[in-house]
Amino acid sequence: MGIFSKLFKGPEIDMEKSNANAKKMRVLFNHVVTDGDNYRLIFGYTEDVSRFNYGFVHGSKTKIGNLIVGWNEASKTIVVVPTVPDLSGCGDPTYYRRSEILKAYRNKYPTDAFIIYPDRKGYIGINAYDWLEDEKLYVYVSQDDELAAFTDFFMNTFATK
Amino acid sequence: MPLGEMGAFLLFLAVIFVFGNLWFHFVETILRWIKKLFMGHKNPPMWHRFPVYKDEND
Repeated sequence: MGIFSKLFKGPEIDMEKSNANAKKMRVLFNHVVTDGDNYRLIFGYTEDVSRFNYGFVHGSKTKIGNLIVGWNEASKTIVVVPTVPDLSGCGDPTYYRRSEILKAYRNKYPTDAFIIYPDRKGYIGINAYDWLEDEKLYVYVSQDDELAAFTDFFMNTFATK
Repeated sequence: MPLGEMGAFLLFLAVIFVFGNLWFHFVETILRWIKKLFMGHKNPPMWHRFPVYKDEND
């Protein structure tokens, strides 16, 4: 019984690793964002899917971009910081203030994502899940509560429709 | 189907698979070179390494 219960239990989250990564995310975020402690954080990612046709070989490529997403309820601002799965570094932050953006909404199809249009020229689609197992592609962090809080903030405060 | 024919067919599929992969990476490399040639002057995005704070006792 012990073996079967272990087999059907599914993957278990290594909370020690998750907590260590959550701390690293905070350090990185605070390193590049002024008053970073005023923001709550979740991990998110972008997906860039492109089709290719190289003669008899064709298909699609997906590029994953890891993000540290911070939000401040009082200023209605979302800050996105690009990073890598091992959190060894990060890029410059991009600020999305609700008063300045064109529109923001939650998309359900083809993937569940938080979409922000800063202007007419481009958009960012932030995918976020409570936990993603693949450490090579995503930051290993468990974030049930933070994801729920971000979803609530996005839907009730930040979204424009 | 005799075992030999099945083996030959599987080998044929494997050759197509390997050649397709090689072709894909070949075209990708050429495209990367072309992109680099035309966008070579563009500055790379700023990257910050994970900060290392030195212990005060050190």
